[in-house]
Amino acid sequence: MTENNFWLKKIEISVSEAEKRTGRNAMNMQETYTAYLIETRSVDHTDGQSVLTDSLWRRYSEFELLRNYLLVYYPHVVVPPLPEKRAEFVWHKLSADNMDPDFVERRRIGLENFLLRVASHPILCRDKIFYLFLTQEGNWKETVNETGFQLKADSRLKALNATFRVKNPDKRFTELKHYSDELQSVISHLLRVRARVADRLYGVYKVHGNYGRVFSEWSAIEKEMGDGLQSAGHHMDVYASSIDDILEDEEHYADQLKEYLFYAEALRAVCRKHELMQYDLEMAAQDLASKKQQCEELATGTVRTFSLKGMTTKLFGQETPEQREARIKVLEEQINEGEQQLKSKNLEGREFVKNAWADIERFKEQKNHDLKEALISYAVMQISMCKKGIQVWTNAKECFSKM
Amino acid sequence: MSGGPPRALPSTGPHSLLDMPHPLAGSSSEEAVGGDSTPSPDLLTARSFGDKDLILPNGGTPAGTSSPASSSSLLNRLQLDDDIDGETRDLFVTVDDPKKHVCTMETYITYRITTKSTRVEFDLPEYSVRRRYQDFDWLRNKLEESQPTHLIPPLPEKFVVKGVVDRFSEEFVETRRKALDKFLKRITDHPVLSFNEHFNVFLTAKDLNAYKKQGMALLTRVGESVKHVTGGYKLRSRPLEFAAIGDYLDTFALKLGTIDRIAQRIIKEEIEYLVELREYGPVYSTWSALEGELSEPLEGVSACIGNCSTALEELTDDMTEDFLPVLREYILYSDSMKSVLKKRDQVQAEYEAKLEAVALRKEDRPKVPADVEKCQDRMECFNADLKADMERWQSNKRQDFRQLLMGMADKNIQYYEKCLMAWESIIPLLQEKQEAK
Repeated sequence: MTENNFWLKKIEISVSEAEKRTGRNAMNMQETYTAYLIETRSVDHTDGQSVLTDSLWRRYSEFELLRNYLLVYYPHVVVPPLPEKRAEFVWHKLSADNMDPDFVERRRIGLENFLLRVASHPILCRDKIFYLFLTQEGNWKETVNETGFQLKADSRLKALNATFRVKNPDKRFTELKHYSDELQSVISHLLRVRARVADRLYGVYKVHGNYGRVFSEWSAIEKEMGDGLQSAGHHMDVYASSIDDILEDEEHYADQLKEYLFYAEALRAVCRKHELMQYDLEMAAQDLASKKQQCEELATGTVRTFSLKGMTTKLFGQETPEQREARIKVLEEQINEGEQQLKSKNLEGREFVKNAWADIERFKEQKNHDLKEALISYAVMQISMCKKGIQVWTNAKECFSKM
Repeated sequence: MSGGPPRALPSTGPHSLLDMPHPLAGSSSEEAVGGDSTPSPDLLTARSFGDKDLILPNGGTPAGTSSPASSSSLLNRLQLDDDIDGETRDLFVTVDDPKKHVCTMETYITYRITTKSTRVEFDLPEYSVRRRYQDFDWLRNKLEESQPTHLIPPLPEKFVVKGVVDRFSEEFVETRRKALDKFLKRITDHPVLSFNEHFNVFLTAKDLNAYKKQGMALLTRVGESVKHVTGGYKLRSRPLEFAAIGDYLDTFALKLGTIDRIAQRIIKEEIEYLVELREYGPVYSTWSALEGELSEPLEGVSACIGNCSTALEELTDDMTEDFLPVLREYILYSDSMKSVLKKRDQVQAEYEAKLEAVALRKEDRPKVPADVEKCQDRMECFNADLKADMERWQSNKRQDFRQLLMGMADKNIQYYEKCLMAWESIIPLLQEKQEAK
């Protein structure tokens, strides 16, 4: 259930189905992909009844397109991440195949989660393209591309350059960038080790299944001990097969962690944007300062700094006063323009910092809440696993006592 | 009698009997203090008196030379078996207090053997001696030689196969001590073996080595008759009941071997799981250091995983020390039982061969020659001893395995209970801040 201010009524979004499709790709080659059914329902305030208003199919690449668009148009927002493109952090029982039904199912849930996060974001939920994503099946791709957002995107190179050269970024963003690097590293490590832990735990449980078989065989040669052994063996089988459900549940926990692993990248994107804007600002200020100085030098006739004009003047002779006047005028115009630009850039920069920081605070609260919930559900899973273990072994003990 | 004022014992070291475990504790544990049933002195005396009437073979006499009266004494023996439960025991043996001895030539461990008995075969009511593994080994060999018709319990393995295990580590010594204690208690419980002369000397002699040397002379006499018994006769067919025992033992050993392998595999997997857990827990700590509000919850999860790791380590240690050795012991037991079965076959084969020879001679009818009769006796004694021991063995086996497997289940239950407690205790910690919001 989400609040959507754009429509001023409650809507429900769900990604309810996944389907394998075949089609032709851009290079006219056959390909297989999975399509996901997105259903939108509007909920009546008064009686809580929901009515299906829209339903359409989208594939993963379209979700990616939507997200890339949002990244460009809302650089001050920590844009929710998509579920992973390829299965990573798998342990041996999990398939790394994108077509594997379990992977598809988990991806379906992840995509639904993405849409819900966007729909519940106070800024993103108002976006038209997002609305069309949910309502306009055909032609949506063209509509997005027509916005020309790809052109507006900052080049990676420009961003990298800014990161290295910026002199005075807001300290908070520097710290946040550092934090998101560390967060990404620690969650990656956690997921890797958790996958290994799952693997080992699987092994422990499954080997116990062998007891079932050998107890059964042994019971065949025993008289009084036979029944007890046989029934205990059955419990060992139950124990061994219980691990499958346990680990399937744990994958849900891993997915919750993964979402925040990917969120770290979204945080970094906001920091990068700030650095870019700040760098831009610094460059503009620097440029303005040098123009002002040039102007001053021309006006007073002193050459304090090296300039090509100064050199050529020395080599080829002084310029006429008229020429000098003309140059000063041009410079004064440029300085005016520059000052306007600097003013607006400054304003932009401050607006960005204010809005970005507000969203970051919102994100922090969301993160703390979500991760605490995730840890609680993980603890609950462990408790359930322990209780099952106690149950099985108590049953087995009773069988043994009857031997 | 037990409970008297402490006095110097005719054996090594000044030990106080008051701090020794009460002999009426169960046969497989020496920790319980104060048994629930104390036999009255009268009953014990009556018991010892009853023993005197029996013609019981003590050490040194080969099974084959028992007299025709042995069948009645056999009956008496079997009847008395029923009386031997906790209340009417008159012999209690305990193995404890391992000590390391460092000498110029070697380093070894000795164990204290404490004996309490009202039997007349013992001069004193209490003894305390020190023995090392090779003394136990000697005893077992003597028992096998002198009581070839009986099933002798196994000893823990002599050599440590895996070079990784430290012969002097606490765990190894404790595991061995328990097995040696089990060994002596099984002999103590046996109505025939417990009266064996070598056993008596083992429990009481101050200088066992002197006796060992003396015994070498006896060995030749005994050795001959034993050789005589096992002299290359071929058995045509094992009687049904012994064939069944043989088949049973074969399958039994096979299944135990499989269980041993499974148990080892489980321990191995658990240890590998433990290794990963020990890396997993601390990552939550690392994460906790990055966070503000999440710091305590994450640290809590880390500590929780740490507790589960410790519980798992305890489980694997327990299984290695308590479960595996007992399995191995029973595998050894069934191996030695199979060789006793073979000896029985030999005795029967000899008898049948002799009988056939007589039949062919067509003389001495209807009287059966003395030596053939002796063979028949020997065979029937052997069969009876073996059957009785087999029944006892089956009943002990059932009890031992019930206890062993219940113990295994118990250890696993305890492990899960410890983990459950750890996780349940952090739920309030995780939830607490939520409400505070």
